[in-house]
Amino acid sequence: MKPFEFENEIDIAWCPGCGNYSIRKALIRALQELEADPLHTVLVSGIGQAAKMPQYVNCHFFNGLHGRGLPVAVSVKACNPHLTVIAEGGDGDMYGEGGNHFIHNIRRNPDITHLVHNNMIYGLTKGQASPTSQKGFVTNVQVDGVINQPFNPLAVALSLGATFIARAFSGDIDQLTDIIKAAVKHKGYALIDIFQPCVTFNKTNNFAWYKENTYSLDSHYDSSDKENAAKKVMETEKYPLGIIYRENGVKTFVEKINIYQDNKQPIVCRNRDLGKVNQLIND
Amino acid sequence: MGEKVLMKGNDVIAEASIRAGCKCYFGYPITPQTEISHYLAEALPKIGGVFLQAESEIAAINMVYGASSAGIRAMTSSSSPGISLKQEGISYIAGAEIPAVVVNVVRCGPGLGGILPGQCDYFQATKGGGHGDYHNIVLAPNSVQELYELTVRCFNLADKYRMCAMLMADGSLGQMMEAVEFREIEDIEAIDKPWATNGMGTRGHSNYISSVNVNPDELEKLNQRLQAKYREVTKNEIMYEEVNCDNADIMVVSYGTTSRIIKNVIKDARKMGINVGLFRPISLWPFPYDELGKHASHVKAFLSVELSAGQMIDDVRLSVNGKKNCYFYGRTGGNIPSQKEILDEIVKILEKEDR
Repeated sequence: MKPFEFENEIDIAWCPGCGNYSIRKALIRALQELEADPLHTVLVSGIGQAAKMPQYVNCHFFNGLHGRGLPVAVSVKACNPHLTVIAEGGDGDMYGEGGNHFIHNIRRNPDITHLVHNNMIYGLTKGQASPTSQKGFVTNVQVDGVINQPFNPLAVALSLGATFIARAFSGDIDQLTDIIKAAVKHKGYALIDIFQPCVTFNKTNNFAWYKENTYSLDSHYDSSDKENAAKKVMETEKYPLGIIYRENGVKTFVEKINIYQDNKQPIVCRNRDLGKVNQLIND
Repeated sequence: MGEKVLMKGNDVIAEASIRAGCKCYFGYPITPQTEISHYLAEALPKIGGVFLQAESEIAAINMVYGASSAGIRAMTSSSSPGISLKQEGISYIAGAEIPAVVVNVVRCGPGLGGILPGQCDYFQATKGGGHGDYHNIVLAPNSVQELYELTVRCFNLADKYRMCAMLMADGSLGQMMEAVEFREIEDIEAIDKPWATNGMGTRGHSNYISSVNVNPDELEKLNQRLQAKYREVTKNEIMYEEVNCDNADIMVVSYGTTSRIIKNVIKDARKMGINVGLFRPISLWPFPYDELGKHASHVKAFLSVELSAGQMIDDVRLSVNGKKNCYFYGRTGGNIPSQKEILDEIVKILEKEDR
C-alpha cells in the first residue's frame, strides 16, 4: 500500500465518469511524488461533491461547514506550520457561500494549497447554477438562463495579491499532477482552479467543451510577469491552462503574525506557562 | 374548494406561497427542500414575481428583509443548517418589526447532520434562535394539505403582526406526495403598510427601517411593544388538534410527522384496552400551554414523542406544571419510531404509573 491510498477498496459517492476521480488520482500522485507524510498532511473541506475529497485520501482530514473550508485551513496551518495543508472544494462552496473567506484569506497569504473543482454547477443539490456558470446557462432553477456575470476567481486572486495562481483541467492528469506539486511546494497561498466536467448535471460544459475552450501555456510563458498574468486571467475566448502567476519571497501569514517572530515552535507544541498567565493581571 | 390534486409537499409550499401573494422568493440549494426553488423558479416569473438564487443563505434572508421592508410579501426557505445561518437576519427582522416568511424543512443535526427528517430545531424555532428578546410565529403542519393551509396562514400572520412567521415542516413532509385541495381564491387580508420604504406614498415623510437603538429608554420601549405584541399573538393565534383526549389514560403530545404515527398508535392501543389521547400543537409558538395543561386533571401521565433528543418535552412540562409525570420518547439521526416502539413505551409508562 502506497502512502495516501487505502488498504481496502473504498466506496466513493461520485457519479461514474466524474472529473473528480481524475483530480483524486492527480492529488494522490502529487503527494506521493513529493514524498509528503500522510501523518503531517491535512485535507480541509466544506460541503459539496468536491468537498468529499478528504474522505477519499488516506491522511488527516477535516470536513466542516459549507463555504468555510478556507478559514479552517488557515487556522490549522497557523497552529502547526509544519503541516502540509490543502483546502479543497467546489465552485459553489469556495466562490459562492465562501466568497468572503476567499477574498480575505488570500490577503493573508497563508502557506496552503487551495484546490477548487470548477464544474460551473451545483452537483450535490442536483444542478443549479453556480458562481462560475456562464451567462445563458439553463438549469431547473435558472429557467431562462443565467443572467449574472460569471465569477473570475483567477482575476480576483491576482488583484488581492495571491502569490500562486494556476488553472488546470481534470482531463489532463499529468499537467494537473505537476501543478499540484508546484502549488504544494510554493511558499504562500496557491490557488488551482480545476476545470472539471459534471457528467450528470452540466451537459453544456462537458469534456469536449473544456477541450475546445482551453489551451496550455507553452514553455516560454513567464509566470513571474504580473502584467502579462493580468491579461491571461482575463482571457475567456479560450482559457489558458498552467501556472499563470507565481511570485516568490512574499511573507506568509505565519511569518507575519507576531507569535512566530521570536519563537518558531508550533502553537500546538507549546506548553502553558502558568507563571506568565498569572502575571498577566499585573501587567 | 377545487379539485383534489396529488402533489409533493415541497411543491405545495411553493404553490401556497404564490396563492398567498408572495412576489419574491430567495433561496439557496440544500436538501431536502430544493424543490421549492425549482417550483418557484418556473412559476413566480409567470405571475410577475421574482425568483432569485442567492450566493448564500445569509444573502437570501437579507433579500427577504429588503423586499419585505419595501412592503412586498417575500419568503425564503432552507433546511436546518441553512436556517441556522439565517438566524442573525431573523433577529434583525424581529427588531425592525418587518413581516417575513421563513420555511424550515427540518433535517437531522447537529452540524451538517444528515438529510433525513428531524424535529431537532424546535428549540431554535420556538426559543429564539438568534439574539435578543423576540419570538417567531411557528406553525407545524402534519399533512400536505396543512402545508398549504399553514403556508398561507404564515403570510397573513406575518403581515398582521409585522413579524417573522416560520413554517416548520420536516424532510418527510417535504418529500411526501399526498392529495391537496386548493381554494379558488385565497382569503388574503389586504394590509396597509404605511411603514414600508416603498417610495410610493403621498405621506409627505420618509420611512426608515432599522433595528438599532442606542437610547436605553427608547430600546426598552421597543421591547415592551414587542412583548405586548407577542401577548396579543398568544391570545389570538394558538392552534392545536385533539384526538381521543377526553377519556385518555395517557396523553401523547406530538406534532408534525410524528403525530401521524400516534393516530395509528391510538387504534392499536384501543385493541389492548388502553385509551391513548393525542394532543397535537399546531402553533409551536405560541404554544398551547393552558389547553394542554387542563388535561392534567384526568390523564395518568403525559408522553412527548419527537424526532429529537427531547425538546418540546420542556413545554409539555411547563403546561402540566408538575401535576402529573411527563415522559419522553424520541428517535434521532433521521430514524422514525414505529407504532410498536411507541406503544411499548406507553405500556411501560402505564405499568409504572399504576404501581
